[in-house]
Amino acid sequence: MRARSLVIALVMTVVSANPLSAQIPEPETREEALRREREAKAAQLHPPEPSKLEKTLLDLEAGRLFERILNPAEGLYPKFGSITAGSGFSIGPGYRTTQRLGGAVDFSTFAMGSLKKYWIADARVQLPRLASEHVGLDAHVQSYDFQDELFFGVGPDSSRSDLVTYGLRNTVVGGLAAVRPTSWLTVSGAADFLNPRIDPTTGEAPSIDTRFDDASAPGLADQPDFMRYEGTVDVNLREPRGNPRSGGRYLFTYQRFDDLESNAYSFQRAAAEVQQYLSLFRNRRILALRAMVSASAADQGAQVPFYYLPTLGGPDDLRGFHRDRFSDTHALLLQAEYRWEIFTAVDGAIFYDTGKVASRLEDLNLRDLESDYGFGFRFGSANGVFLRIEAAFGSSDGNHFIFRFNNVF
Amino acid sequence: MRGCVTTFAVLIAIWTAPRAATPRFFPDDPIQVDDDRAVDASGTQEIEGSNAYDFAENTFFSQGDTRDIRAVNVNSVDEVPDSSWFTNRIGRRAMTTAEIARGPNQLDSVNIDDWPIVREKSSGITPGYHVVDPSGQLYQVKFDPPSNPEMASAAEVIGAAIYHAVGYNVVQGYIVEVDPSRIVIAPTASTVDLSGRKRPMTRRDVDRLLARGARLPNGKYRATLSRFADGQNRGFFKYYGTRPDDPNDIHPHEHRRELRAARVFAAWLNHDDSRGINSLDMLEGPEGRRFIKHYMFDFGSIMGSGSTSPQTLRAGNEYIMEWAPGLKTLATLGLYVRPWIRTRYWEGAKSVGRFEGDVFDPVKWRPEYPNPAFGNMRADDGLWAARLVARFSDEVIRAIVAKGGYSEPGAADHIVNTLIKRRDKVLMTWLTGVNPLGDARLGTDGVLEFDNAAVSARVTSAPSRYTLRWSGFDNATNATTGTPVETTTTEPRATAPPALLGPGRRSPISGAQFVTVAIRTTHPNYPVWEMPATFTFRRVSNGWQTVGVDRVVPARRPR
Repeated sequence: MRARSLVIALVMTVVSANPLSAQIPEPETREEALRREREAKAAQLHPPEPSKLEKTLLDLEAGRLFERILNPAEGLYPKFGSITAGSGFSIGPGYRTTQRLGGAVDFSTFAMGSLKKYWIADARVQLPRLASEHVGLDAHVQSYDFQDELFFGVGPDSSRSDLVTYGLRNTVVGGLAAVRPTSWLTVSGAADFLNPRIDPTTGEAPSIDTRFDDASAPGLADQPDFMRYEGTVDVNLREPRGNPRSGGRYLFTYQRFDDLESNAYSFQRAAAEVQQYLSLFRNRRILALRAMVSASAADQGAQVPFYYLPTLGGPDDLRGFHRDRFSDTHALLLQAEYRWEIFTAVDGAIFYDTGKVASRLEDLNLRDLESDYGFGFRFGSANGVFLRIEAAFGSSDGNHFIFRFNNVF
Repeated sequence: MRGCVTTFAVLIAIWTAPRAATPRFFPDDPIQVDDDRAVDASGTQEIEGSNAYDFAENTFFSQGDTRDIRAVNVNSVDEVPDSSWFTNRIGRRAMTTAEIARGPNQLDSVNIDDWPIVREKSSGITPGYHVVDPSGQLYQVKFDPPSNPEMASAAEVIGAAIYHAVGYNVVQGYIVEVDPSRIVIAPTASTVDLSGRKRPMTRRDVDRLLARGARLPNGKYRATLSRFADGQNRGFFKYYGTRPDDPNDIHPHEHRRELRAARVFAAWLNHDDSRGINSLDMLEGPEGRRFIKHYMFDFGSIMGSGSTSPQTLRAGNEYIMEWAPGLKTLATLGLYVRPWIRTRYWEGAKSVGRFEGDVFDPVKWRPEYPNPAFGNMRADDGLWAARLVARFSDEVIRAIVAKGGYSEPGAADHIVNTLIKRRDKVLMTWLTGVNPLGDARLGTDGVLEFDNAAVSARVTSAPSRYTLRWSGFDNATNATTGTPVETTTTEPRATAPPALLGPGRRSPISGAQFVTVAIRTTHPNYPVWEMPATFTFRRVSNGWQTVGVDRVVPARRPR
């Protein structure tokens, strides 16, 4: 009996281990084999499950958020970038509407603030499409408060150790008329009311009033209101304009600042700027050159206020120096960049900047220039550079790391 | 006790007896149709595609199974059976030139005057909108760019005709002229503004779109009209994996022959936009027997067209982000200049864009970013595709290009000549990358005839010789039988050893049931042809049926 049980157990074990005993017959045709695979899959179906990243990107694309952020054309949008050099990352709401009142009028407004307590608010009404887009009108109002502006004293020999800070508030109300006979030529005139105000600061660096007075920083004691009149001739042959690879831009500006109170700070300024882009290897290598000269002349017995002096230094001109490191009545800037495409939408750049400021026009020569050099990367498309990362060296002002949301020129 | 022992012995005998293993060839091999409509797919859902995600997942990660294996959906003679993905057309039957040029289109021409606009086109970069015809059928209108009139619309219809003839599912596409005075906007027409909000579409929206279109001298706007595919939209397919909700989708896409080998057609036509996002899955069929049909669409950026501008210099030469040349360029501060930057293009007609055939290299050609199926393509996939490309004669190409309606002098000729030049390079590359023998037939008289695709396409001279190794074949064990017999020939023709076929070689009742012959091809220029192509024949009532084609394939090129 015991042996019989053992045999039965053994038989059962063998039977259960035999694959034939539990299997359905092998398919007899290819069609049947494939159909069985499909029927087996039909028992295990589940809906497609996009990853979180895929869902997020889908939502972004469906809402066109990329376009809204990078190139908003209409409606409410988040505006971000820099308010001005030194403002730090800034963000705020923007709103744009176009082709109102029969299609002629565009309106835009934005407000931005930064962690460094810089803020700006801007609103403008534009009629850019008059006379078949050959004439444009613009009326604007802008108010800003820059709370941490740098000042090192006036002149090319100002000392780095004299660094002070000041706050600059201003409200600008004005209008502009532009005539564009061709796509590359714009002649414009503008008039603006300005009411700049200088404030002392309470930050780490000394406030301007602790180290400078009205003699060493003209206009520090009292800031009048101004009317600024401006005429510009802009020959823009750059291609593409948002991120130039060839062509050039030739800009001449004349400005007249009228002190509306005492004429103590009335002055005029002429500035010329040349940008030239030499294309190599089908626009994949660019030699970009820029020259800018600015000359100011105060009225008889007047001075140019320190806060309206041309300055050099910062992420857009002498990049190896603190922003606004040099200021004086006249300024000269020369920049050269070699740019090369690394990937689509990613360019490398090697640059050299040099320039000087001077109190006398005859001193605006190529002697004793301040200079720097560096390298960087640009991210963007033909429409523009949306991110610029650079490191600048070789100046008497230390090394500088630059992170900006625009092109240098 | 004795009974138990007997039972045990019987069971042991059953267990240890040879299993009825799956045979190498089923009775219905080679299948001509893979019935991937067998199981109802009503439960499938629409898959939305993200351009950014598609780029990122294929650029920064390796997708799908990358093993160097034979395509999994080919039949036993190494061909692609008809399915919801592919219908053999030019490869299986003679098509007239007119039929090829007509492509998927059911109509000769279309006039869309007064067809109401129902919404603005929401995807892609090309301006356009959707209209409905009087029967309610939905179409998409896409405009040519003002800088390059005729470029994108011509590319669209040329691409659709070629892909259709090859065998892919494509939608009907027509070149139309849009008369701005005959545009009608449906009361329910909508657009999505930049804030993502849907709102009614107005004439101003239409004018904004027209401003981005190419205006013809007659005041009309040339555009592509694409008929929406029948059925319900189920999104797109990826070039790897399978749809988890489609019971019929059992073959990983990265190992589907027609998707792997689509790289050859894409290279020929410079279809650098060949990616999952530019595909379409439609749910079709009657209730209870629904299935997904897989389409390729959007050929507006093939050849020299980049849809809204000419192709970039990089297009077809390098991925958007390709590390090696990028880092080389970075490290050398740009002293290293990628070869494609120096490529010169014919600039005689704006409608051509940038399209050339002198520098084109079918192997080095690249889509916009890695495609998992393209990356898995092997030489046998390439051979399959190249044999289809070889069916496009100069005359056929000329007829297809004529459909593009190029009006600029020299434009059509340039497109034709470039397509021919690129076709020849494709053939030279992929007809020679593996032993290119095919179409083997074993006659009742024991005479084997086969085709050397490379020789037939005149891309090379006849080989020095063919070495044939004949054997019997056991279908149950998938092994050759008997002593192999080796013969040689200089022609693609040989007689099988009589002893192998047996006395009944002219009669179906005796002799081997399966015969196999492995053929090595000796050619001084193509040593890889020494890797054999093996053909297996099954005895049938009226002679021999070719049931197996197997090739030894060189290792896949690095991805």
